[in-house]
Amino acid sequence: MQFARKLPKTDTGVDDGIEIRIENLSVRFPDKNSRATVDALTGINLDIRRGEFISLVGPSGCGKTTLLRTIADLQAPSEGTVTVRGRTPREMRLQKKFGIVFQSPVLYDWRTARRNVCMPMELMGLPRKQRTRTVSEMLDLVNLLGSGHKYPHQMSGGMQQRVGIARALATQPEILLMDEPFSALDEFTKEKLNEELLSIWSIAKKTVVFVTHNIAESVFLSDRVVVLSPHPGRVSAVVEIDLPRPRHLAVRDTPAFGALVSRVRNSFEGV
Amino acid sequence: MNAIRWKKFFASPKWVTVVWVLGLILVWEIGATVVAGVKRTPENVLPHLYQIIGSVFSSQKANSTQTAIQIVLSNAWITLMRAGIGFALGAMAGFMLALLMSLFSAVEKMIFPYLMMIQMIPILGMAPIVLAITRDIDKSRIVIAAILTFYPVATNTLSGFKAVEREKRELMFSLAASRYDVYRKLLIPSSLPYLFTGLKIAAPMAITASILVDTLQGGGGLGCMMSQSLKHAMTIYVFWQIVFLSAIIGILSYQLMAWLEKLVSPYRRSGGDFPATDAKEPTP
Repeated sequence: MQFARKLPKTDTGVDDGIEIRIENLSVRFPDKNSRATVDALTGINLDIRRGEFISLVGPSGCGKTTLLRTIADLQAPSEGTVTVRGRTPREMRLQKKFGIVFQSPVLYDWRTARRNVCMPMELMGLPRKQRTRTVSEMLDLVNLLGSGHKYPHQMSGGMQQRVGIARALATQPEILLMDEPFSALDEFTKEKLNEELLSIWSIAKKTVVFVTHNIAESVFLSDRVVVLSPHPGRVSAVVEIDLPRPRHLAVRDTPAFGALVSRVRNSFEGV
Repeated sequence: MNAIRWKKFFASPKWVTVVWVLGLILVWEIGATVVAGVKRTPENVLPHLYQIIGSVFSSQKANSTQTAIQIVLSNAWITLMRAGIGFALGAMAGFMLALLMSLFSAVEKMIFPYLMMIQMIPILGMAPIVLAITRDIDKSRIVIAAILTFYPVATNTLSGFKAVEREKRELMFSLAASRYDVYRKLLIPSSLPYLFTGLKIAAPMAITASILVDTLQGGGGLGCMMSQSLKHAMTIYVFWQIVFLSAIIGILSYQLMAWLEKLVSPYRRSGGDFPATDAKEPTP
């Protein structure tokens, strides 16, 4: 890893800095039109380090969302295992260690921004005082402290997605799982949120798994970009992004950035 | 300035309403004149509109103690109370059943076909059966109003539970929410618009049903007075006043539900449309 981040390391090998270990993972879905099955993912091996920002990038049908859903325990593996800090995804989910941001903001229309962010903490049964304080902290983190009273329909798509991020962070999860969170937004809002996400990540210090089909976005954000190819879904390359941090949008104009984007683009197989 | 105002008026939907109302009045008056020409009873069965309106303010006694409008209003109260109690009971039962059907799919499979059958029995066919069971006309009126309310509330609420987006359920799942919390925090609040659709359909129906069941037996109520009036035991104006009053009550009951809906869902009050949720299928 190129950026300065102290990882707790022990000689016993119990903590090897690996947050998520994916071993020989395959996921098959029944085909709608025949009795056969479709290989969404085959033989995936991947280690995700603690505190790392990793992107899963690929075209539609490459299984990137399925991989994310398998980590989140929203999808069961057909073969192989996923371990998160030595535990199963199910154990981690039950302990509320995942913060998930979906493609659409998935906000509750009947709750204000504040109450949306508050909702996971209500489920955890946290005392009101603590909830109120955390909500303010999280909204401040996504620059929405002044809009807490607004209902989702009164906010723009970008604001809604930021509320979604604040909500995902409110439970203090170990791992932030993001499924194409900015793909429905316009280019300007997306770039702004990309930069904001990096600053949130540098403050919150979470492991982030970020699914996208936008190559430039994945290069800009990530420590490593995992390139997935379809039919069957498989890892065709893992590209280390050694751009210096903190990164700002200007980095996109550098030759190094362009070269990395090309490397990722040329890693796709059979598209 | 005036010309512009007129132009605006003609372009507005109000103009359509005015034409409709004028047309209806015209048809009514032609009908009233024709019926008056062939009448065999002392009173015109289809009176002119001004006669009906006049009868509302008339101080002439329709029976030994009350004027027409006094009879109508006092009986309207009786009918409304029965319809209201039946509606409240039916709405509660419908909501509880929708909850049960959503919690246990076996319950849905067992009960749903019979719900539809009950709905298909005409009220007038159902009324004697209910009367035979309850042995009390007052109770059976309430029960029938409840049965009619029950079905639209149950089916609408159930489809409300089913309409919750997959991602919203998955968010609850990923937070390891208990079943109780999933219902309390997600399914019930998001099904409220559906529940109110059911209530808006059911409210006028409960009133209509209550009036219809009134006609079967004595004991007061709008329907009871209607049939007496039609049989010339009472002035025909009672009948026509009830027709208009029950139409008004029906509309008001709908409006009351719409108002209640706004009261409990402040997120809709500002009038803004819901953002169109992303129709994009998540890639597998």
